[in-house]
Amino acid sequence: MKTKNSRSLENISTLRSKVSASAVGKLYHSIPISGQIISLGIVALIFSLGTNGQFLHISNIMTVLGLSAIPMILCLAVHQVIILGAMDLSLEGIVAITAVSAGLLLKNSVTANDVGLWIIPIVMLIGGLAGLVNGLLNTKLRMPSFISTLGMSWTLFGVAIMISKGSSIPLRDLRFQKVIISEFLGIPTVFILAILLGLVLYIMQNKTKLGKHMYAIGGNEILAKQAGVKVDRIKISIFGLTGMIYGLAGLLLVARLNSSAARYGNNLLFPAMTAVAVGGVSLSGGVGGALNAVIGTIIVVALNNGLVLMQINPYMQSAVNGIVLISAVALTIDRNKIGIIK
Amino acid sequence: MKKRGLLIIALAMLVLVTPLFAQGGKEAAASPTTLSIAIRTLTNPYQANYKVGADMLGELEGLPVVTLTCEGSSEKQLNDVRALVAKTNGNVVFMIDPNESPNVIPLARELDAAGVYWVSWWNKPEDVKVWDYKNWVSHISFDGISAGEFTAETLFKSFGYEGKIIALQGLLSNSIAQDRFVGLQNILKKHPKVQMVAFEAADWDRTIAYEKTRNMLVAHPDIKGIWAANDNMALGALEALRAVGRAGQVLVTGVDGTTEIYEAIKKGEAAATVYNDSTYQAGIGLAIALAAKNGELDVAKMPKDQRQFFAEATNVDINNVDEIMKGASSYDFENLFASFSRPMN
Repeated sequence: MKTKNSRSLENISTLRSKVSASAVGKLYHSIPISGQIISLGIVALIFSLGTNGQFLHISNIMTVLGLSAIPMILCLAVHQVIILGAMDLSLEGIVAITAVSAGLLLKNSVTANDVGLWIIPIVMLIGGLAGLVNGLLNTKLRMPSFISTLGMSWTLFGVAIMISKGSSIPLRDLRFQKVIISEFLGIPTVFILAILLGLVLYIMQNKTKLGKHMYAIGGNEILAKQAGVKVDRIKISIFGLTGMIYGLAGLLLVARLNSSAARYGNNLLFPAMTAVAVGGVSLSGGVGGALNAVIGTIIVVALNNGLVLMQINPYMQSAVNGIVLISAVALTIDRNKIGIIK
Repeated sequence: MKKRGLLIIALAMLVLVTPLFAQGGKEAAASPTTLSIAIRTLTNPYQANYKVGADMLGELEGLPVVTLTCEGSSEKQLNDVRALVAKTNGNVVFMIDPNESPNVIPLARELDAAGVYWVSWWNKPEDVKVWDYKNWVSHISFDGISAGEFTAETLFKSFGYEGKIIALQGLLSNSIAQDRFVGLQNILKKHPKVQMVAFEAADWDRTIAYEKTRNMLVAHPDIKGIWAANDNMALGALEALRAVGRAGQVLVTGVDGTTEIYEAIKKGEAAATVYNDSTYQAGIGLAIALAAKNGELDVAKMPKDQRQFFAEATNVDINNVDEIMKGASSYDFENLFASFSRPMN
């Protein structure tokens, strides 16, 4: 009896530990971005230790959220194309052309234009058209999106330089800047805007047929086509939507600096792409979504903020950034879901 | 369809090269010396003002002016210079802003062989010496150290030489960025009560400067000034200050002399900048080369300090910003080495 009892107890305890382990595992796997949350936690822990808690001070958190808004919008744009298994490198070109257009059409010190709030649909239209061209080049001319969008980026950047004559255009309409630096219940308005956009895209990805089809294309384009998914039409519309969102980001960038120039869009592609990768959106397509883009951007921006707060020597920052990014991606990617590593 | 395409390309190329012929076509061998500037582009205001300076000297001396733009191609710059030397039979002088610093070596060889005098601005590999070539009269660069010193001094003065500052550097690998930062550090040593609590590299970029400044302001909310290595970054920092409601209380400084920073100086949001006047650069560069060509300067006997040197740019603060914004009505192109600041070794 005794031996039997102890044995059964043993059984139960091992059973219990198995149950609890799988419960944690279940929880871990039920949240699609648990890996990212852990790595954000690690980043936060290291930096709060390194800055005596300053990193987690509310004013710094709000600064990080405010600064993450524009990269987040860009990341939310580009990750859509990446879900399709395609690539979009036209970000800097489209931002340049929409930023310069916004500069020249809003009340400014170079031209006599003043379109006021109409600028919002205008930049989205310009960005959307550029995105449509990206989509058409990819689907109708069968060009690899990596090259066609890179070509578009250069072309649009060149046009932006031409129409702005290579110089910056100071704005005279202060309303946009006021909105962008304002706060709502202590939270930067522009961050709320980015989150709302993320929410819309999240619903689109998870609750609509379009979303399902996007993932089907990203998973296996040929199979999707055979199953009756209108691949070309969906690709063109996603490229277009992505372009529209770039346009919006271009306007926000101009509003923030209260000035516009073609080169303000430079240096934005890299953070957006790292945010995509760190967030866990698979570059081979079909995996990840808006949530990943949001958390990925926050990690990248928090990282840059922390390096400044800890006063890591600027000569070292680039290297530290690279190492931390590689570790973050290593920690966050779900290797079960990714079939092919490109 | 294909033929038409080729035709269009041929036509386009013809249109592109036509001005080159048109500008210098009439001059024969005995005609006046051509003044030529070889620059990057005419699409940005800084480079475009080179042409203004060249035209100014051309009018003063009654000589024809030819502008060569390379649009970012070192190869094109060399070929254009070569073509103009051939067309004018060597009766030409150049002011060249080399597209990339290594480009001065083939240029120097080519122009030495043709006996054509020239002056270069900004870019030159350190180990290439002007005095090793007989027709390369001078190489001039604006002095980054004195620019950094002037803006730092003016910034510190704005808060009474006591308090904390932060700084934004340009591309770290860039020698002009390093020079301007040395200037800042020289002035920091002079005023021990001013403390630089943080510095970041913002790669000359306004967006990066905005983000770095926002982050630095969290760690150091009590700063009294922001020193930036160029106007673009200074303006990014200014908008970051505006976002936290401190524009005008904390002043910024830059270097370059853009209209936007002038307006900020007038509004009391920026303290100073340094204006690199490309109109003067082109005019004085051509004047020096022309003096050598006319025998007024004996290149072989010129002191080394005149062969390669740093020039002082125009310091701008609240006292002279209005005057600078109006633009200089005339330049002194006769006093050839008036802008000398320090020798370049």
